[in-house]
Amino acid sequence: MQKKEILNVAIERFDFQSGGEASSQLKNMLRKLGVSSDIVRKTAIVTYELEMNVIIHSFGGKITAQISEDELVIYADDKGPGIADLEKALTPGFSTAGSEIREMGFGAGMGLVNIKRYADNMDIRTAEGEGTNIKVTIKLEKPL
Amino acid sequence: MVDKHSVLLKEDKCEGCTNCVKKCPTRAIRVHQGRAWIKEDLCIDCAECIRTCEYHAKYTETDQLDDIKNYNYPVLIIPPSFYGQFESDISVTKIKAAVLKLGFKRVYDVAESAAALSRKTLEFLENNSGSFISASCPVIIRLIKLLYPGLIDMIIPFKSPVELCAEKTKKLLWEKENIKADIFLLTPCPAKLTTIKYPLGQKKSFLTGAIGVENIYQKIYDKLSEITAEETEQFSDFSPATIWGQEGGETDILKRWKGISFVNVSGIHQVKKILDEIERNNISSDIKYFELSSCINGCVGGVLNVVNPFQAKFNLQKRMEQISELDKKDKKDFIYNFLITEKIEAEDVGKLDPDFQKAMEKLEQMEKEIESLPGLDCAACGAPDCKTFAEDIVNGLANKSDCIFMLRKNVGQLADELSELAHELPPVMSSKKEENNESKRSD
Repeated sequence: MQKKEILNVAIERFDFQSGGEASSQLKNMLRKLGVSSDIVRKTAIVTYELEMNVIIHSFGGKITAQISEDELVIYADDKGPGIADLEKALTPGFSTAGSEIREMGFGAGMGLVNIKRYADNMDIRTAEGEGTNIKVTIKLEKPL
Repeated sequence: MVDKHSVLLKEDKCEGCTNCVKKCPTRAIRVHQGRAWIKEDLCIDCAECIRTCEYHAKYTETDQLDDIKNYNYPVLIIPPSFYGQFESDISVTKIKAAVLKLGFKRVYDVAESAAALSRKTLEFLENNSGSFISASCPVIIRLIKLLYPGLIDMIIPFKSPVELCAEKTKKLLWEKENIKADIFLLTPCPAKLTTIKYPLGQKKSFLTGAIGVENIYQKIYDKLSEITAEETEQFSDFSPATIWGQEGGETDILKRWKGISFVNVSGIHQVKKILDEIERNNISSDIKYFELSSCINGCVGGVLNVVNPFQAKFNLQKRMEQISELDKKDKKDFIYNFLITEKIEAEDVGKLDPDFQKAMEKLEQMEKEIESLPGLDCAACGAPDCKTFAEDIVNGLANKSDCIFMLRKNVGQLADELSELAHELPPVMSSKKEENNESKRSD
């Protein structure tokens, strides 16, 4: 089955007020499609981490999602500084977020770690000075 | 037909306004044919519509005092929140003596079972990793089953204080005195009534019925002046766990004992917000326990109470000033079967179609409908907002022309067509050019 785009949300830098928008939109759509509750939960967590990453670390970007009967693919594409050291970024607790972001309760260095934990596959392409593209795949169980 | 829910409508009082439609946290209400309709599979008995309705068209039918005459041994159990209905200088023993005079054989406090449940909860939280949600408010359990099924495993697997109290009372009366009792709850909310018909985590409720506070408050009040000192002696004074009757009461006990980190939230719309955050993991994992209650200020805010929730909370707090710390251990707790016996299951609602492909097609159709609708969420169509209206359209439950803006657009188009037609002359009077057009049209 062909993949269909079901989500396309533009995200601006430091727009904390809109954080969670992509996550809850996607969650509601999956529920309407009859996707099982644990996958809806995984998706909500992963998408929220992705959009907060774009808000905190990039100069803006977008979250899109495509779905087919057997998998959901979420893309986070941003214009931004890129990730200088990807290996470090994947270390639990490592974050480049500034103190003001941390004071807001974000930037705990668990974003990518959590995405990796809940996703079935995570693919990161990044170039310093250009931006980051993350592709996350979540397998869907056979709907009942 | 037996209604699944305890919130009912007085049709003659319903004006067909959409106030309740817009305030319903699960979007369970639609207005059609000038009156509200509650979708049974989406209603969680939170009573927001009762609170919202300016015409008092929504109500709850709880048991009446007369109903207890049909039972040999009616026993009333009083929830902690009820003591917020009286000023704190009226003693708990006096209130219980007055209740007894209404025709009950015995009167017991739910607070004692709440105290036992607090002890059990502390033990559970100390021995289990992860965070948990209190199971004491039935509306919250129904909300999670319906909209947050991914969080079902976080609900602490214990019965509610009310059910524990009813089970214990029945058991003790039978074992010790050979009495077959029927237990009634003095209920502050419709949700607890629904739980008798549709239990959560149990096959069957231990309650026979529930009498709304509003039904007997005045009668209890009137009896207070007749109570003598001797009559109050048979009753125990109130448990420190009476604090459960208000928001934060349950966690207050846990905090005093063992610094359990917790969050408490009251009011169904606020509860939805915190459940959203929990669902996307945007809340500190240090928080061990969530005490969530559907009514503002907790059970004292229940719609069947008589005293307003703020005064009731004040009254309860004032009463709490007089009491001592709750015992951390009680040898009598073994009498309780705390664990639920049935799994809490997700409600199978909300999907557009059981078939994924068809659901996909409907989702796309729904997106298209949303784009064409005005997005004002005015609710004049009878649905709470344009998105829900679009969903109703693709599910065949509404027509696009139910939207007054769509209707106006259609009428406008029709008017344009009419006016165009009106300017056309009959063939005998029209010029050659118009005649050609006319013949083309009839082709």
